Parts: sequence; C-alpha cells; structure tokens
Amino acid sequence: MIEILSASALATVQDLGRVGALQWGVGTSGAMDPLALAAGNLLLGNDANAAAIEVPVFPFQVRFGADLAIALTGADCAARLDDVPLLPWWVVEARVGQVLSLGVPRAAGHWRASRAYLCVAGGVDVPAVLGSRSTQLRGAFGGHEGRALRQGDVLCAAAPGIGRCGSGFGLLPPALAMPLQLDGVPAMRVLPAAEYGHYTEASRAAFWAGEWKITAQSDRYGYRLAGAALEAANPVEMRSHGIVPGVIQVPPGGQPIVQMRDAQPSGGYPKLGTVIEADLWRLGQAPIGSRVRFIEATWDDALDAREQMHAWLADARRLVELHRRQRARSAS
Amino acid sequence: MNPDRIETISAWLAATDIGLLELRGPGTRLRLRNDGGGLPLRGEPIADASPAAAPGGSVTANAASVGVFLHRHPLRETALAPIGTRVVAGQPLGLLQVGALLLPLCAPRAGTVTGLRVAHGTAVGYGTPLVELAPL
Amino acid sequence: MNALPSAAAQPSISLLGTSALLFEAPGHDMALGTQQRIWALAREAGRWPEVREAVPGMNNLMLSFAQPPRVLEDIETRLRAAWAAAQPLPLEGRVVELPVVYGGDAGPHLADVVAHTGLSVDEIVERHSTPLYPVYALGSHPGYCYLGGMDPRLATPRRKVPVLSIPGGAVSIGGAQTGVSASTGPSGWNTIGSTSMHFFDPAQDPPALLQPGDTLRFRVEKVIR
Repeated sequence: MIEILSASALATVQDLGRVGALQWGVGTSGAMDPLALAAGNLLLGNDANAAAIEVPVFPFQVRFGADLAIALTGADCAARLDDVPLLPWWVVEARVGQVLSLGVPRAAGHWRASRAYLCVAGGVDVPAVLGSRSTQLRGAFGGHEGRALRQGDVLCAAAPGIGRCGSGFGLLPPALAMPLQLDGVPAMRVLPAAEYGHYTEASRAAFWAGEWKITAQSDRYGYRLAGAALEAANPVEMRSHGIVPGVIQVPPGGQPIVQMRDAQPSGGYPKLGTVIEADLWRLGQAPIGSRVRFIEATWDDALDAREQMHAWLADARRLVELHRRQRARSAS
Repeated sequence: MNPDRIETISAWLAATDIGLLELRGPGTRLRLRNDGGGLPLRGEPIADASPAAAPGGSVTANAASVGVFLHRHPLRETALAPIGTRVVAGQPLGLLQVGALLLPLCAPRAGTVTGLRVAHGTAVGYGTPLVELAPL
Repeated sequence: MNALPSAAAQPSISLLGTSALLFEAPGHDMALGTQQRIWALAREAGRWPEVREAVPGMNNLMLSFAQPPRVLEDIETRLRAAWAAAQPLPLEGRVVELPVVYGGDAGPHLADVVAHTGLSVDEIVERHSTPLYPVYALGSHPGYCYLGGMDPRLATPRRKVPVLSIPGGAVSIGGAQTGVSASTGPSGWNTIGSTSMHFFDPAQDPPALLQPGDTLRFRVEKVIR
C-alpha cells in the first residue's frame, strides 16, 4: 500500500542490519543512520529494528494505497502530504490516496543531513532473510527483492490503519541533543586500528588535524575522502581479514576510504582507524561535498558514547510511551 | 490530581532541566523537586490547562504539560504561527519540548494569533498561557 | 637492534572500533596448519558471552562483539591463552571441482600475470590448475571463499586501479592468493579465467555451499590465447 512514484531513487528497505552471517561473507547492510531509523520506529510504537525505507536521493514521492501512520526522520526534506507541509521527526496519519513528497534536504544551522527514513506502522512488511529485512545489494537478497526500489514498486506495511499508535507529536533530532563538532565542522570519534603505527608521524597528525571532504565517489559501500596524502612508513602486503563498517582503509594513493554499511566484511588494505559505532550515524548523514573531522578517542570514550546513544533512545521511547498512554486515557 | 497524572508529570519533569515544579489549585497543592534539574521554572500557578478566556474575548492556548515552549521547530527558522497568522482549530501554534519529546500546542479553536506570551525557549509550567488568539 | 625474539612470535590483537576485535597469528604467511588452529580458536571463542560471531580470515580471526566489554584485558588474556592451547582442527569436507575457461574475455588480466611472473600462458594454467586449494575462510561477499595453497610463482600484486565490475565466477589472483567471485562486483585482483558455480543460496541452511574444510580444484576446460 506504499507505491513508489519516483524513478532512480536509489531507495532501499533497511532495518538495523543483518548480524551473524559474516561467516558466509555476508556484511551487515542496514541503515546508514540507525539512530534515525530506530527513532522513527519508536515514534510509531514499532520494534526499533522494524524495516523502513532509506531515501538517499531527492525529490522522492510515494502514494498511499491505505490509511497508514508514518514517521519521517533523518534529513529534514520539507515533506508534504498532498499540499500539507509536515514537521520533521513527527508522526502523521496518511490517508488512502495521499501522496508524500520529499524535497531536497535543507540545512539546519551547522547540521546537514543527506538521508531520510520513511518509517511506517508495523514496519515495512518484507520477508526476513538470514534474520534481517535489510537489502543485501551484492548478494541480491533481502529487503524488497534484493534491490533498490523502482517506480511502480508497491510495498506493504505490517500495521496499516488509523488510530492505532497516535499521531501529532515528534522527537528532537539527536543531532541537536548530542552535537559533535570541531571548529564548526561535524566530527566523528575514531579508535586507532592495527596499522595506525605504520603511518608517518606527519600523516597521523594530518589525519587528526585536517578537514576531510566526502567526494562524489561515496556511497553505502564506502566514503572516499579527499585531503592530505597519508603515507605509510613501511608499506605491508596484508592478509585478508575481517573488517566492520567504520574501518578507515588507506589504499596506495594515500586517500582514505571509510567502509560503510554495504562494505565487504573483509579486506586486505592497511587500516588507520575505525569510526566508533556510536558515531557512524553522523558520518552516514554527512552529505557528498561536505567536510568532516576526526577526533581520537579512547576505548572508554567510545563505550561512553555508545551508552549515551542507547540512553537517548531509551529516554525517547519512555517519553513517547508515556505520552501515548496519557492520550489513550484522556480519550477514554 | 490523580496518581497517574503525578507519575506522568514526574517522568516528564525528570527528563527536563527544570528544578522545581509547584502546582496549585482549589484544594490541591503539589510540589515536585527535581534533583537533576537546574533553574526553578517561571510561570504562574494555574488549576488546569483548558483555554482561558482573556479580556476582550480573546482566548489563550495553555501548556498541557511542563516543558520548554518553542515558537518554531528546532530544525526550522520560521515560527509555526507568528502574530497575525490565521489558524484552524487543532493547528499547531508552537511546540512544547519535554526532554526528547516534542508536543504540539494546538489552537483550541479557529482564530488569528494576536500574542505570544512566552519567549521561544522558556521553561513553562502546566497550564501556563502561551499563545493568544482572537477567535473568528 | 633486536626486540626479544619471542616478541616476534606473538600474535597481535587490535581493535576494530567498538564493534570487533582482530586477532592475527604471527608472521605474514598463510599456512594450513595455522589456519586449522584458527578454526579451533574460532570454535572456542564463538562460545564466549561477549562474542556474537567468530569470523576466520587468512590466518587471523575477527571476534564481533555482542556487547563490547568495558575491560579489554580480560578477553585479550583469554584469547592469548586459548591460542596457545589451540590444537589444529582438521576439518575435512568435500572436494569440489570447477571447470575453468582460462584467458580470452573470461581472463582479461592473464596477460598482466604473464608480464609480472615471466611465465607463459600454459605454465600459468598448469600451475594454477594442479593444486588442491583448501577453503580457509569465507568473506568479501556472500559465498566467496578465501583459498590457500596457490603456487607462489603465480603471485601478482593487486591492481593499482580496481576494476569496477567483474562477473560472478571470475577466477582471479591477488598477491599470493587466488579465489573465485561468487557474484558481480568490483575487484582489485587479476582475473585470469571464468567458471560457473552457485556459491550462495540464502534459502538454504547453511546458505554458503562451501565452507572451511572443503577443497577446491580447478579443471582446465579451455584455454583461449
């Protein structure tokens, strides 16, 4: 009952990712901004891991073939339901026949985001494959038929109908609640990786001090960054080994690549560091052409950040549920 | 003041920076101190949140909860309902932020916005008059 | 000049953010005996409460965390002790034979391997199709097998500029390793031939058709010069 009206949108069905299948060469996939996806889900009373539509290219349009509660999180893309402008990070009830239009994401002060999440009541109803509804593009399975969405595709939501989860409220975006910047530029914390010491001292200093531009050759597989050339003091040919999203590899040529959600689960290039799990959503939202900075973190910093992210979600869920209960009581 | 309502208000209070909340009404007085909170909130003691008639026939939309009153969404530059805006019943006039939650302040009836009683970003109490409307 | 000799023989443990730990057996080679100990270590560590999945690589092991532990020393100590005690796990599976068309459109980089190694096409095909290749680990993409046992004289460095798209079934050489693509995608390896084989079916359990302990051999179907 969600009909895709846009062509070439590169939109995919994602949840929080596929785990436990690394042993078969299957990477995690999942939302580039898992915090936005989880937040949209909890606004609707869904499980945090319910599947949603990740929209990376705009404008984007869908038509609803049934009444359905939805929440749009991630980038603020001046969304409209027919002619009515919507607030970002807000639950609304769409009616049968209405068209949802997402425009080009707009900047909000220092924060620019590039991906929106269309969350729906009950989650997008596609079969789970190997424990997840995320789209595995390389393997061509999972999500909707293992591929990006095309014009004419019709998806179903697991819990259509009106009045089941409440509407007309929202969440303060976590980018505002938990900002992270260095000299006005969005920043991500990084833990050094095994080959960190192989890089010259000048290269390491340049990595932390420099601004890194996200080039146009960046996508769900990896972000290719442009900045200072990074030099290994003693280059080493490496054995293939497991890697995770966030790993910053430096191939010959000296320009780093940050592995993202659809990256191969293993690789053979030297690794400078890894963007911490708690900051991957920040990087996942950084638009092409924007600049980012990296902050050296300790293990404790990284775990604290992870706990802070989970605490934000737990608080948000608690407040939303209290509000929903309150309204149900007032209505009766 | 029923126990459910106290539980709700306590949970909302805990999620804010407000240090002290006092509610007074006929035969009721409730004082909640928030150990994690900062400044005491600014506002008047009010019995309930229903729209109050103000002199001259205008109506105010009042806070249905403790929270921080916002004229505009934090991601946006323009106010939801600046002075002079014509609104329909139920239309959001502003937002009340309670921790991570954003609640709409809805127009009690159709009218024109004639006043914003509280500045953007002010912590307010339950029932505080926030926006003045001249009903149509 | 030297560090303690025993230090060189120690495995290394490093972080992959807060998502995983990487354990690497000492040295740079890829011995089967070492790989069998990695399989044993994976089986042991896969049972630990912090570990969601133990994923073997080429003489290394990634432990992805279910929950990253606050104190790392504990799991690191346990890992080193488990490695010291690990006996080679002699996994034995099936021998699978793949018919390969070498060269032509199927092997666009065969000429580069000729140029780098100084061997003729026939010598390369002979040396590539003779050994039995044990499956060391799966990785890279669904169903892809990392193989051990390639003749070192065939070693050709990974390409400076990766090819944007090579088809599934592509038989390639990257450094001292060889492998077969299980699906279409980018690759930095040198493609010398092509085979047809289904390596992955998500509807099956397990979904990968090959696993550590299986052995691959390449049968020469045709050589296109």
